[in-house]
Amino acid sequence: MRISFSLLIVFIFFIACNHKEEKKDTRIIKIPAIDSSSMVRPERTVNPYVPVDVSPMDMSYYPTDYPKLKMTNSAIKPPYARVVYSRPHLQGRNLFKDVLKYDEPWRLGANEATELDLYSDATIQGKKIKAGRYILYCIPEKDNWVVSFNSNIDSWGLHPDESKDIARFVVPSKQTNNSVEFFTMAFEKTNGVIELVMAWDNVEARLPFIF
Amino acid sequence: MKKIFAILITFQLFFFSLLAQTGNLPPVDKSPMDMSYYPVNYPVLKIQDKIAEPLAARVVYSRPQKAGRTVFGELVKYGEVWRAGANEATEIEFFKPVRIGGKKINKGRYTLYAIVNENSWTIILNKDTDTWGSFKYDAKKDIVRAAASIQKNDTAVESLAMAFEKTGNGCNLIIAWDNVKASLPIIF
Repeated sequence: MRISFSLLIVFIFFIACNHKEEKKDTRIIKIPAIDSSSMVRPERTVNPYVPVDVSPMDMSYYPTDYPKLKMTNSAIKPPYARVVYSRPHLQGRNLFKDVLKYDEPWRLGANEATELDLYSDATIQGKKIKAGRYILYCIPEKDNWVVSFNSNIDSWGLHPDESKDIARFVVPSKQTNNSVEFFTMAFEKTNGVIELVMAWDNVEARLPFIF
Repeated sequence: MKKIFAILITFQLFFFSLLAQTGNLPPVDKSPMDMSYYPVNYPVLKIQDKIAEPLAARVVYSRPQKAGRTVFGELVKYGEVWRAGANEATEIEFFKPVRIGGKKINKGRYTLYAIVNENSWTIILNKDTDTWGSFKYDAKKDIVRAAASIQKNDTAVESLAMAFEKTGNGCNLIIAWDNVKASLPIIF
């Protein structure tokens, strides 16, 4: 009994330490997993120059948190990719009941079209995508998301011009136990696989990249 | 007893699996990001087929709030390099060659900083892109330093704002926050 008890303690300790190390590798500055609309302060008066968007813009790099990594490592190699997108929020709505429709194009964001900047060539599902700037949109299906790379850059997200599609990738979508209030895109490296995670409400899809 | 440990372990594993799922997803920033184009509202014009002149510039920046503070001279110290934004360094991109401060600037992406004084601002374009704030600012990587004219407003702007406005020979980059509006001439 005593031996199994100490084994358990060691096991718990091992898991805890392992987890910590994993965090240290990918994140220099720890960001709490807050996801709340209270983070965006409402403007008290209308901004006379540029009003603040209800769906704030954000960017995510690969390597994850590249700009922060660069602060502590000036010899770092250039980044591979980043995504610039706007983050609509649920505000009590249910994603696939009230916001999105299956089989209809969705702009994967809000406002300006969601932009993917590839700083080097990438391979996705065996297809080579050249370094450059693309916009992304998505056609969510019940069990898959079709992610489209499109060349109509610097455009607004509505009415994507399908004639300018460069490539389409089908990735499975899955239900999670999370409830993500703000649409979220981020690059993650899990078990050696680099993925662009797209998550909103309790749905998540992951597009794998090879650089 | 064994049961309790089994429950503890299960609970712990569950807890870590939760962390793994949500812990890495980025939260919403307190200072939200935004972008502005020249021509103004270019992306909207583009999908409406109303583009009258070619794409020239874009700025991507984060928008800190005044939140009751005196911004210039206090929060942003006079005479020091200021990141003119928050979080990821403010990025300005030119889609064709332009002239700023008498100097030819090639098309491409640059990081933008500012040195604020009471009656004048200096805008800095620096070639060290994809960085964070001004914490690693290196003057050796400057492309140009140019003067921006300033104007004091009666009403305070709550969130830092950047936009382009058309001029006779190009556009101005407007940077407005609190009671100051700075204008940087961009010629093309």
